[in-house]
Amino acid sequence: MHWKLFATLAEAAGDRTIELDRDTDETVGDALDTLLDAYPDLSAEVLNNDGEVADHINLLVDGTAVTALDGLDTPIDDDTELALFPPVSGG
Amino acid sequence: MDCCRTARPDTLKRLDASMCGMQTLSVLGPGAAEVVGSLAAVLDGRVATIDRTETNPVEPETADGAYELGPEGSWRGTTAGSGLQPLLDDLAGEFDYALLAGVSRTRMPTVVIGDHELPEGALLLERVADRSALELEAIATALEETEPYVTLETLIDRVKASPKAERSGAIATFTGRVRAKDAPDDSPTEALTFEKYEGVAETAMARIESELAERDGVLAVQMHHRVGRIEDGEDIVFVVVLAGHRTEAFRAVEDGINRLKDEVPIFKKETTADAEFWVHERSE
Repeated sequence: MHWKLFATLAEAAGDRTIELDRDTDETVGDALDTLLDAYPDLSAEVLNNDGEVADHINLLVDGTAVTALDGLDTPIDDDTELALFPPVSGG
Repeated sequence: MDCCRTARPDTLKRLDASMCGMQTLSVLGPGAAEVVGSLAAVLDGRVATIDRTETNPVEPETADGAYELGPEGSWRGTTAGSGLQPLLDDLAGEFDYALLAGVSRTRMPTVVIGDHELPEGALLLERVADRSALELEAIATALEETEPYVTLETLIDRVKASPKAERSGAIATFTGRVRAKDAPDDSPTEALTFEKYEGVAETAMARIESELAERDGVLAVQMHHRVGRIEDGEDIVFVVVLAGHRTEAFRAVEDGINRLKDEVPIFKKETTADAEFWVHERSE
């Protein structure tokens, strides 16, 4: 699947766009685990002390917030675009 | 990305620069003026060329700028050193393209010939060893994918062209700009650099525009946010509302900029005299 990272998260990973093999990943949660395994420095930026996605982190699935879908259980396919970013700060 | 082609694919043809924003291109290096001339002939639309090379000596004692009007209203100019931004602002309402020879600026798509240096902050579109190696059609195509030069005036012209304009008694606007200092002893901000989530940011802005335009008394809403490096004192973001009366206009402008700051995936990095940091890190 395709990942897009922005701002501090892109800097922590060292990449703005990341292509990962989906293999057995069926959900957004699986894909996130795969991403964080491949880029361990991202974990500290993305997860809270309980190992969950921190409240201020945005996770989008094809442009829609994962919180408006089925959360980490949202299904993905090979073409899904996932995006991960800190609070927006335009203007 | 061009607003016209994303929002209204059926009107892909560039009919009116004030609706689409003006594409800009700088050419630097030996033969820049000739390349600009050849490119102007290839582009479809109204083209302004601005020349600041040694081939066209300026005479600042006689004028601040010299412009030559050609057939069908196209014109070329020789600038006298200062005021490029005001000049571009003026051109933006009338021209589809501004081609600059021998001068570039931050964020401007730039073609470099030979070993001429790329100015800091300019966007490198292509570098070639010799101008004979340039493919004009390819540059023209690449130019269409770059950010257009959009001004507050561009957006005001767009809302005035609304079919509902006859019911409008008010236009309210908001301009966000780079603030050097928030307090007297602040380390001065030199620039802000914005990145956006391409595609998703435009969709989010279009949703805010259309939701605000559905309000009673609000007739049209236009927003634009620049990306890349923006220097101290430069404009960042514009919100323009066409409304029946001032109260709805003011409210929609305020809600528009507030929603943009909350909802649109755009990210700001601040460069001060002392440090560089992503803004959300300091505002939490």
